[in-house]
Amino acid sequence: MLARVANNLFWMGRYIERSEHLARYMNVNYFSSLDAPNDISQSRQFVLRSMLFVADEEEIKDIKELDEQEVLFDIGLNPDKPFSIVSSINNAQQNANGARDLISTELYESINTLKRTVNNYDKNIFVKNGLFDFTTMVTTNVASLRTKIRGTLLHDEVYAIIMLGIYIERANQVIRIINSKYNDALIEKVNFGSSLTKSYEWTTLLKCVESYDMMRRYYRKVPTSHTVLDFLILNPHCPRSIMNSLKCIDSYIGYLSKEEFPDKDSAAFLIGKLKYEHMFKTIEDVQGDLKGFIEKLVDDLSLVGEKMDKDYFSLY
Amino acid sequence: MKAPTSLPIFSSYEFDSRFYDEIFTNNNEVREVYKTLFNLFSEYSVNDFVNLNDKAKDAFFNQGITFQVYSDQETKEKIFPFDLFPRIIGHEEWCKIERGALQRSKALNLFLWDLYHDQKIIKQGIVPKELIDSSANYLKQMQGFNPPGGVYNHVSGTDLIKHLDGEYYVLEDNIRCPSGVSYVVGNRSALKRTLFGVFNHYQSYNVSDYGENLLEVIESVKPKGVDLPKCVVLTPGVYNSAYYEHSFLAKQMGVELVEGRDLFIENDFVYMKTIKGLERVDVIYRRVDDLFIDPLEFNKDSLLGVPGLFKCYMKGKVCLVNAPGTGVADDKAIYTYMPQIIKYYLDEEPILNNVHTYHCSRPDELKYVLENVDKLVIKPVDESGGYGISIGNKLTKEEIEKVKVTIKESPRKYIAQPIMSLSTHPTYIEEENSFEPRHVDLRTFTLLGKDVDFVLKGGLTRVALKRGNLVVNSSQGGGSKDTWVLKK
Repeated sequence: MLARVANNLFWMGRYIERSEHLARYMNVNYFSSLDAPNDISQSRQFVLRSMLFVADEEEIKDIKELDEQEVLFDIGLNPDKPFSIVSSINNAQQNANGARDLISTELYESINTLKRTVNNYDKNIFVKNGLFDFTTMVTTNVASLRTKIRGTLLHDEVYAIIMLGIYIERANQVIRIINSKYNDALIEKVNFGSSLTKSYEWTTLLKCVESYDMMRRYYRKVPTSHTVLDFLILNPHCPRSIMNSLKCIDSYIGYLSKEEFPDKDSAAFLIGKLKYEHMFKTIEDVQGDLKGFIEKLVDDLSLVGEKMDKDYFSLY
Repeated sequence: MKAPTSLPIFSSYEFDSRFYDEIFTNNNEVREVYKTLFNLFSEYSVNDFVNLNDKAKDAFFNQGITFQVYSDQETKEKIFPFDLFPRIIGHEEWCKIERGALQRSKALNLFLWDLYHDQKIIKQGIVPKELIDSSANYLKQMQGFNPPGGVYNHVSGTDLIKHLDGEYYVLEDNIRCPSGVSYVVGNRSALKRTLFGVFNHYQSYNVSDYGENLLEVIESVKPKGVDLPKCVVLTPGVYNSAYYEHSFLAKQMGVELVEGRDLFIENDFVYMKTIKGLERVDVIYRRVDDLFIDPLEFNKDSLLGVPGLFKCYMKGKVCLVNAPGTGVADDKAIYTYMPQIIKYYLDEEPILNNVHTYHCSRPDELKYVLENVDKLVIKPVDESGGYGISIGNKLTKEEIEKVKVTIKESPRKYIAQPIMSLSTHPTYIEEENSFEPRHVDLRTFTLLGKDVDFVLKGGLTRVALKRGNLVVNSSQGGGSKDTWVLKK
């Protein structure tokens, strides 16, 4: 596979995954806040700030008062904002376009159709009362894209590259969402005096990554910071957990490199090391310094991306 | 725009008896091959048709069969306008077209070989030497070179029209980078999605086998010593207006779609940059013009090509499809000599008619052209896409004088042909919400390889969407129709 096209496919995977996380985060936060137990978590400003934090934390730095329709438009349909859902989907489509001879017609057409649907979505309807429909449409369509990726492509290098994009982005997004919800829980604690361990935000966090039901099934307990973080960071069976993403990244890089003893400077070596480091971590290790853990993981994932660039796309 | 009505779609159709109408005879009867289709379509109201038309457009957008149009403010995605009423070509009629197109492609290939070797046809005075010497598309670098398999024009597109006499005439041969085949397949696919029931009533050839035949042809011209050739399609990139076609061809053949920046030359071999390092390339179906394929040999500013590619080609390490320098034979001035070229190389009479052509480099013909501009179509010999064409009876007196001055300045650059009566075909006109006759032509696609050839059983019917317009090129606002070739 051409190095240039591999780069396109990698980013196609990333943008597809990113758009889904953003859409779901908007949906869950907005609607769960309507039933939230206290004034803070019901507050529009609190919710909008949380959404913008996940979309692009730089955006909220200088803004004191957020306008709901403006924030929804910026994250959802503003083509001038590089972090918006529409930008992600347009980027995914452009990347697919540069590799359309390698992917299945079914997958290409689905991305193309989603791009057209999102770009033609009525802005006014979306910002007034269309948030649920729009975000549900995006998450449903992205789920369908993932099915098309799994079900219509050869499970070869092309597939491995796309899946690498998906899992690296998933790990990044989940860690961002954990970070955001951890901050929300802290704000609630500071302002409302509620318990950080039992904050309502942990339930929202689970819903934001579509893991609520399975977490309840696994622990059979009310979510607490301890169980939620254990489930979302270290549980290898939870499809949205960091551990599962690291396992998958390791497996797909292994498929590409096919070397038993990868070079110490390679992406394969780094991700293997990262996976095993996390396999033998306990949630106590993580919770001791959650902030530091998050920062290190974001840096490590970014380094994996850089090494991948060097190992597979550098000829381009 | 008129509001759609519930009237049948042909209720307001009026054909112009000055032209051959593809569906109706001058007695207002429906031609035999169209009868079933006409009856099926007659059941549709205009409203039904508007809905189907919208569905078909959606199918094109969703399939990404689009091109980008740039304006000052924004980039717009557009589709090549597609008409739901297909054109039907009967079996016998098609056989003649197919034999004729293949005959021309073979003759042109032999002509190209001769031009780059002994030039016997020139020495025998059949084709004038100055016509070749003055051609911008003749590449001296190709002289004496033997392309793999002896093939120059692996892919040819022949443009045909049907005149008032019901006969097909060749308008021109395209043997540089003829495009449009992706629309042939795309049109069929869109029509099948939209009018699926209609296909139960007709036995037509499918057009989806083009890719496999193209791959067989380009594999047949692999360099010496190569067992399993690695073939690629070379595109200028995603911003090229024909990018959809390039990606379509690569996908149909299951080969890589590369850009110049993906290729690399080492020790006179061509390699592509893959995630596993460099991988050798043996055959390149290039959709980049001659002058841009190698900045070391041709246009030094080209970023689309690969430095050193031409040298590899000359050393027989890679094959280029179509061969560089092929354009000398699709010069419109050469077209004038096609009957003689066919006779000379194949010792056959041309199966398809040539449109009578005046070449302005011949003094007596120049005189006739200058005196009769209003009755002629004037075409530059080296343009494509319908650019630079003047249709005499559409020009004002001042415009005619301007055309005369232009011709006199460089007569070699122009040919003239009588204004042909391109046949018309019922076409749905969105702005009018009704069917109206529009002029059409037909581009066929012929493949030549080493001991293998193929003509796609179908073609691109192009439609001039403006009333009375004779220029059908997509770049001039034309549309297209699905084209069915019926089985026996």
